[in-house]
Amino acid sequence: MPWLNRLASLHRNILRRPHVERDLDDELRAYLDQLTDEKRAAGMGVAEAQRAARIELGGLEQVKEQVRQVRSGQMLDEFLQDLRYGFRMLRKNPAFTVVALLALALGIGANTAMFSVAYGILLRPLPYAHADRVAVVYMRYFPRDFAFGTMCMRDYLMWKENNRAFEDPSLFTSRSMDIGGKEGVPEQVQGASVTAGFFSTLDVRPLIGRIFAPGEDKPTTASLAVLSESIWRRRFAASSGVLGQTILVNGAPATVIGVMPGVFQFPRRQTEVWTNLLLNPPTRYGPWFYRGVARLKPGVTLQQAQSELNHIGLRMMQQNSFYKRLTLPVLGLRDALMGVTLKPAILVLAGAVGLVLLIAVVNVANLMLARATVREREMALRLSLGASRGRLVRQLLTESVLLAVMGGVVGLVLAWGGIHLVRAWNPGNLPFIDSVRLDLGALSFMLVVSMLTGVVFGLAPAFESARADLNATIQAGGRAGSDSLVRGRTRAALVVCEIAVSLMLLVGAGLLLRSFANLQLVSGGFSTPPRQILTMLISPGNRKYNDARAGLAFYDEVLRHARSVPGVETATLTDSLPPDQQGDADTFGIEGQALAPGELNPIISDITVGPDFFRTLGIPLVKGRYFTDHDGQDSVPVAIVSDGFVRRFLPNQEAVGKRIRQSGPGMGNPWMEIVGVVGNVKYLGLTVDTDPAYYMPFAQAYGPRMFLAVRSSSDATHLAAPLRREIQAIDPGVTLAQIGTLEQARTLSVSQPRFDTILLSLFAAIAMLLAAVGIYGLIGYSVAQRTHEIGVRMALGAAQVDVVRMVVRQGMSLAIIGIMLGLAGAFALTRLLKAMLFGIGVTDALAFAAAVSGMMIVVLLAAFVPALRATRISPVAALRYE
Amino acid sequence: MSVPTTNLLQGTLDLLILKALALAGMHGLGISHRIAQMTNGTFQVKPGSLFPALHRMEEAGWLSSTWGESENNRRAKFYRLTVAGRRQLQTETRQWETIALAIASALQAS
Repeated sequence: MPWLNRLASLHRNILRRPHVERDLDDELRAYLDQLTDEKRAAGMGVAEAQRAARIELGGLEQVKEQVRQVRSGQMLDEFLQDLRYGFRMLRKNPAFTVVALLALALGIGANTAMFSVAYGILLRPLPYAHADRVAVVYMRYFPRDFAFGTMCMRDYLMWKENNRAFEDPSLFTSRSMDIGGKEGVPEQVQGASVTAGFFSTLDVRPLIGRIFAPGEDKPTTASLAVLSESIWRRRFAASSGVLGQTILVNGAPATVIGVMPGVFQFPRRQTEVWTNLLLNPPTRYGPWFYRGVARLKPGVTLQQAQSELNHIGLRMMQQNSFYKRLTLPVLGLRDALMGVTLKPAILVLAGAVGLVLLIAVVNVANLMLARATVREREMALRLSLGASRGRLVRQLLTESVLLAVMGGVVGLVLAWGGIHLVRAWNPGNLPFIDSVRLDLGALSFMLVVSMLTGVVFGLAPAFESARADLNATIQAGGRAGSDSLVRGRTRAALVVCEIAVSLMLLVGAGLLLRSFANLQLVSGGFSTPPRQILTMLISPGNRKYNDARAGLAFYDEVLRHARSVPGVETATLTDSLPPDQQGDADTFGIEGQALAPGELNPIISDITVGPDFFRTLGIPLVKGRYFTDHDGQDSVPVAIVSDGFVRRFLPNQEAVGKRIRQSGPGMGNPWMEIVGVVGNVKYLGLTVDTDPAYYMPFAQAYGPRMFLAVRSSSDATHLAAPLRREIQAIDPGVTLAQIGTLEQARTLSVSQPRFDTILLSLFAAIAMLLAAVGIYGLIGYSVAQRTHEIGVRMALGAAQVDVVRMVVRQGMSLAIIGIMLGLAGAFALTRLLKAMLFGIGVTDALAFAAAVSGMMIVVLLAAFVPALRATRISPVAALRYE
Repeated sequence: MSVPTTNLLQGTLDLLILKALALAGMHGLGISHRIAQMTNGTFQVKPGSLFPALHRMEEAGWLSSTWGESENNRRAKFYRLTVAGRRQLQTETRQWETIALAIASALQAS
């Protein structure tokens, strides 16, 4: 078993090294003694015999070294030597080491983190069996015109009747639910009403209990509820006794039949309760609350399903002249969960971070090349002293890999931290964020890339010295090798590359920053500072408040108590809030308006507000009057319209005094007299242009679930606790939710663009930093190379300013080429940002100009520092240096 | 004829050492004397070649070593053939004979 012997030797040579060495020493000394004995026996004197023996042995240490050479583990030994040498080299050049490590670590860290996030969101398999066969079906039609809007029960029944592409289509709607019961205080959670086939479509099994059985969406079925694992643990202590228990959902009893595992997060990430949606035969079109979810039949593609849905859409329009331009868009489950804006943003960010890696790698390559020049002489010397080329290559390889591994370790730490940061931050409610983990695939890919860079460019000195004339290199003497023309050009090209790529990133970041600034400037339409307004959603659990008279009395109490809280200036009620809390939306009629048969006005926000609403938020009155306490249940129905409403539907007319009513002609709603016109307010998000709206007084359009809004003279955050106490004192069954200031609501509404902007700016900043280091390194190195030349120039009378100009010009000429290339790239690539921009075009001049001047300044600084150093060169020293 | 020991083919040296140890175990100095004796003084193996070869062959499992007493009562390291070493000696002998025959006939060819 020869390999066993080898293994034993290896073990001995490495782990019992002192013993092996001592043994060798003993053996050779014994040999020497024997030889001496022989010489003496042959008649030599003691000293003479010892001398002769030594000569014959040929040097104790040399023989030992020759024995060591043949030992097993010699390679390992040399590797450790190389490693030690590599560490020494890195320690000797701290500037090189820090810059290279930083570049590698930032590149590897940022990329691993970003790709882990991208993988978790875009690629990781969903936790549902056959998720790729499940699709969500939406409805888009004019006058409503939401790209991924909802359908009504009639539409669903018609789809189901004509469907052939899907297995058993299901219907669902997301809504918040007030959960109460004897198990704890009432709370509001995200819920969903779903038809019986919902869970089996997604093919998920409950943790305990059962899912809805076929037919449990018939009108006669009792109310049932399936709970999420999270609410089951929170409210029911994870007890299996929950099955069969009755809970209150929005004040009505429902029987718990099952608990879903935590990985099941549909339709929303936070959905905690699913109730059975009862398919009551609809008597009219609306309400449009629902989306469909269904599984494709075997062999049917999403495209085929879409074309079938297009036909069904046409028939829906034929049946109901109310629908215009109706389509039924269908999305795969993943796209549906992700939302349409997230995917391009993630792809842009992943692309940007890839560019950062490119720059980092280029930087390392550049540093390696620079070092190659410096070490040319070392390599030549080693070769001439008899080192084999393979040995040199191995040493350089060891050094490169050492650098890559160290960079990788720091990068790993950065990536780990970055991922935890993103998870804790969870901007804009990223889907699947819980499943984002440090992706080992991404990490290994980054490591391999950085190692390859190190290897390819790190080996340059070894290969160059193979060609080089050893004699000439060594004789080049005091100067630390001379830069070859090719290598100099390569380095300059790499720096140009860095500048171009970082300029592209800078332009992208500039565009997003400008867009985000625009977003910040958008007014919500109200003048009270948003941090002075605190709002909370009140859901009275008790069903008696569904009656308007009891409800109005309850809310009168709420307002009275709220106004009594110190610090509260005004208090009011509303069912909608800026910037993106639209309560209700419906079409409407205007008295005397001539509409073609079947034509309807668009669906717009119809908002129910308490009397002080406009004063509390500071919404300006354009004409007429605000609501007052006299606009009660029994007085003349009144309405207030927004300025945008007047411009669009009553242009050049006197709006005040006209009458409008809800839900189109023939719906039997009373006419309401317009008593005032107010400024436009955003209820559909800051990026939506103008949303026409009409307001109705709370007393005349009662709904049980309202936002309480109070205004304070300073920051309103501290009012939350006393208000909560006051309201619970009126009725402990009340659920309070979504408590926060309008400032917080505004911040939340722009969290996705903020995430995009911060990340892209961060990547651009890293890129610019790396590019600056690249330029600094290149110029600084060239100044060092030209010490002699600069010395001569100064000796011949060149002024310091001439030297500075000469050096800076070298940097600027590279910068200009890089910037030109970068601009071309930016023009080509910023189109990808189009969907992410608000209020500016993709070729925004200011963003481009800022990026170019920023880059110029950085290049100037990076070139200026070595230029200044050049002026301090003393001509005498420079010449003596020769 | 004088053969520079540094140029001694590794295979040749191995074969000579194996052959020298074929009858009995020996210490380093004994091996080099024995080789000189066997080759009528043609091969003078120097320690710089001998010791690396001994250690290499020991790691290959052909030799084993023990400390013992030399003929004049000095401590010395003794080497002897293992079973694998004996097999190696046969293999190398056969190979050498083949090569020697081939070279000889090549040189005699006109």
